[in-house]
Amino acid sequence: MNESTGEKSIGNAKNAKKRRLIIRSGLLVVYVLLIAFMIHSGRRHTILIDNKDAHDDSYIGIDGMEVSIDNKEPLEYYRGDRDKAVVQGQKHTIKVEIFDDGRKIEESFTVPLWTDMVIIYVPRLVNGIEPWLEPFTIAEQIEESQESWSPDDEMSFESMGSPQLEGVENTTPTP
Amino acid sequence: MSAKKKFSTFLSRYAVVIIFLVVTIAATPPSGLSIRYILQELITRLGRNSFLVLALLLPIYAGMGLNFGMTLGAMAGQIGLIFAVNYSIAGWQGLVFALLVGLPISVLLGWICGLVMNRAKGREMVTGYILAFFMNGIYQFFVMYMLGSVVPMGNKAIVLSRGYGIRNTLNLESVRQSLDNILVLRFAGFTFPVVTFIVIAVLCVFIIWFKKTKLGQDMRAVGQDMAVAESAGIPVERTRIIAIIISTVLACAGQIIFLQNMGNLATYNAHDQTGFFAVASILVGGASVTSANIANVFIGVMLLHAMFVVSPLAGQNLFGSAMIGEYFRQFIGYGVIALSLVLYAWRSKKAAAEARISLRGANNNHKDKIEITTKNGGQA
Repeated sequence: MNESTGEKSIGNAKNAKKRRLIIRSGLLVVYVLLIAFMIHSGRRHTILIDNKDAHDDSYIGIDGMEVSIDNKEPLEYYRGDRDKAVVQGQKHTIKVEIFDDGRKIEESFTVPLWTDMVIIYVPRLVNGIEPWLEPFTIAEQIEESQESWSPDDEMSFESMGSPQLEGVENTTPTP
Repeated sequence: MSAKKKFSTFLSRYAVVIIFLVVTIAATPPSGLSIRYILQELITRLGRNSFLVLALLLPIYAGMGLNFGMTLGAMAGQIGLIFAVNYSIAGWQGLVFALLVGLPISVLLGWICGLVMNRAKGREMVTGYILAFFMNGIYQFFVMYMLGSVVPMGNKAIVLSRGYGIRNTLNLESVRQSLDNILVLRFAGFTFPVVTFIVIAVLCVFIIWFKKTKLGQDMRAVGQDMAVAESAGIPVERTRIIAIIISTVLACAGQIIFLQNMGNLATYNAHDQTGFFAVASILVGGASVTSANIANVFIGVMLLHAMFVVSPLAGQNLFGSAMIGEYFRQFIGYGVIALSLVLYAWRSKKAAAEARISLRGANNNHKDKIEITTKNGGQA
């Protein structure tokens, strides 16, 4: 009789330990999930809304339109404009209303979680050219612009409106 | 008790409150501020500071005095906010994220603080104060050198130009007043941050409930007499550590609430005076080193901040310099703490002397009675 009660109490103690471990593990999981949820729903992203002509002339900017993100106050854009909107979370909608023909376009899009900045090319969106949304990295843009616009061009006499003098070579300034 | 003695007891008990009331009322007209403005400021500051001051209650219940070690919790909250800004987590989610990051840090720091205080029983306040200085060094090292070098920081805007270490001031624009603005009530020309007040009310309910629990009762028993509590089977040291851990965690949350209201973070010194102002507040509210309640917190925050609002302008209008008001603010803050501690020591000494006198008086009466009975009937 005594042995059986002793075994029971040992069993109960083991069960209590097991239960405690399960509860603690559960709490830890909830804690981690909560952190993940906060990152997922609270992360901010910058969206650049671009209405410029394409570099390769494949499309041109829209003459006048209103763009609103997530039903916020719409902003007017004209050809060559670029502005930004700051959003929270990953899923968003963009509404475009073109002044000329009164067309309204609404699209949903998802911003990748760890991407700080994306760019929406509205003319592409309106003309159905993919991809109209791309990640945007400032450093990459600077590199790209430097590649397409070499320092030689920048510092040449020609670019300054002076004729190239014979016998005088272009020299890039050394730092 | 005679009326005179009653008055003197009342005066000594509430001297700080009375002084504050008188000075604030006297400084209000010269400040030139309207009552409406002062009241709105008080509502804002009540939401901003009450949580931090409430964090002081549990250690007082546990007999550990005013927890200057709450600064450790404030540091944990700041680290949480730095990570929230680093990962660009905005809104109330950013605040919860900061709390979730700060929570384990504050538990660890609270545990360390509790362990140290258990080795310095009776000198908890000064120990906490010095411990905060010590931890400040570690915090500075972590934020100035580890963040960005050992701990990667993706947001280059918050990192110093050398590539590691956090900038002096962080813009908390992404979480600015995100708790206050969840629900704003405008009533009679005043603006109330409803959710912030709900959070504070929940903490008050928690404290009232906690006092009635077994652990809460244990804390009070430990606060009254550690030796008696020990002999009653209460794990004194463990209870004291839990009190400090809870206080540190609450300070972590309190600092996050405070900073979200302010909207920017002075990375290296925002926590410096957290403990000092919280302690000053609760003392101004009529609390002492050994006794405090929720009412003391709210009265204290209102009185201290009423003084903070009016004193710079009163100083400027009276003496031609706002700095005099600022100096006055500092002077009052430290002065209140010093005065409270002196009054507490004086009251304790007086109570001990009175107890001795009453004990002697009782013995003398007893002797007199014996003499009378022996004279009358020879019976002792």
